[in-house]
Amino acid sequence: MNASGHYFIADKAILAFDPAKTGLAMTVRADQELLSPLEASRLLMAVAAKRDRAAFAVLFDFYAPRLKAFLRRSGMTASVAEDVAQETMLLVWKKASYFDPARAGASTWIFTIARNARIDRLRRDGRSAAITEAFDPSDVPDDPVSGEQMIIAAEREERVRTAIAQLPPEQADILKKSFFGEETQSEIAYTSGIPLGTVKSRVRLALGRLRQILDDLK
Amino acid sequence: MIKHHPSDETLFRYANGSLEPGPSIVVAVHVGGCAACCSRIGEYEAVGGSLLHDIEPEPVETGALDRVMAVIDVNEAGRGAAAPRHRLPRADIGIRLPQVLDDCGIGPWRWIGPGVRWSRVTLPDDDSANVMLLKVTAGRRLPEHTHVGLEYTHVLKGAFHDARGRYGPGDLDEADDDVQHQPIVEEDGECICIAAVEGRTKLRGFFGRLIQPLFGG
Repeated sequence: MNASGHYFIADKAILAFDPAKTGLAMTVRADQELLSPLEASRLLMAVAAKRDRAAFAVLFDFYAPRLKAFLRRSGMTASVAEDVAQETMLLVWKKASYFDPARAGASTWIFTIARNARIDRLRRDGRSAAITEAFDPSDVPDDPVSGEQMIIAAEREERVRTAIAQLPPEQADILKKSFFGEETQSEIAYTSGIPLGTVKSRVRLALGRLRQILDDLK
Repeated sequence: MIKHHPSDETLFRYANGSLEPGPSIVVAVHVGGCAACCSRIGEYEAVGGSLLHDIEPEPVETGALDRVMAVIDVNEAGRGAAAPRHRLPRADIGIRLPQVLDDCGIGPWRWIGPGVRWSRVTLPDDDSANVMLLKVTAGRRLPEHTHVGLEYTHVLKGAFHDARGRYGPGDLDEADDDVQHQPIVEEDGECICIAAVEGRTKLRGFFGRLIQPLFGG
């Protein structure tokens, strides 16, 4: 059993938790290395339901340093990454009520906020930009969510984490590199000494393998 | 029944934010009506979530949380109406467009050749993206052509077919320079598509070649 399976066993005990009623944040603020997906979802819901600043502080401690690292890997300088990480957390506060725990895990949702913030920044800086805000799944308001739906979404996020961990190291590496866009495919080809066509087919292969593992995990 | 979807790589690039704005909006139109691709994107976004969750954290500046909280305080104190969003002009082109395009500008239909009209789609944040709507009358055969770079064509209404198959409403045709084809619009009605090309250089593909003179290429 990996760490992810462990989360769910441990979390079942507190599923009846209603984020609107308790001061949860104070009770879970422990080791920032150990924020489980379900805890993160609950904290986000506490921010949405009652503008819970303590819950937000826990999220900030966990995610801001990760966002900064993530944005740096996506090619930003330390100071811009710092800036966009803070901006992302501000958006997390503002948009918390749009978080739908039945649709995505907290890390996934925060990733999409960061992705769009990064695109906006690149666009403002006059560099190439990608996705348009026109279709932003994080902007869809949600209905009340059952604990069960929440687990399903958090489990999906976990399943993807597990699947990445199960990829052969070489494929996991290609997947990460192309996800971060830290290198373009031709740069990947150059640094790894593999012809471009081979790299493309390796990305395709890695995605196919990921798909297979995900199907097996379902 | 949707038969033609974007490739996994395209959905992956859509999810990680590296697909260009023009192709992204065409893919978004497809995804808005395709549960399978929507769920695939959810998975690729979860790859992002997972990488974010597991990345080695890098310390943020001291006082970062306090600064963000201070901004929040200011915002909450002065909660007012957000500035009204600038609306781009939208011509009535006689078809109900997907909601995803609500913020886009839509130009009037313009004639570019016998039986073919086009309308320019302007993205709210990026007016340089090459996105267009195309309307082709029933039964028309388009000139044989190849593509330069990837071209994304999503069918909104009607259908066309070529040697590779039939493309009806909801289908997305992702064609690269390996594809040489001669699409024919079906006899029972006009076909309306939204299309975009990768890159901002040349429009020489499916419909692009017809349009290129208008862009001064």
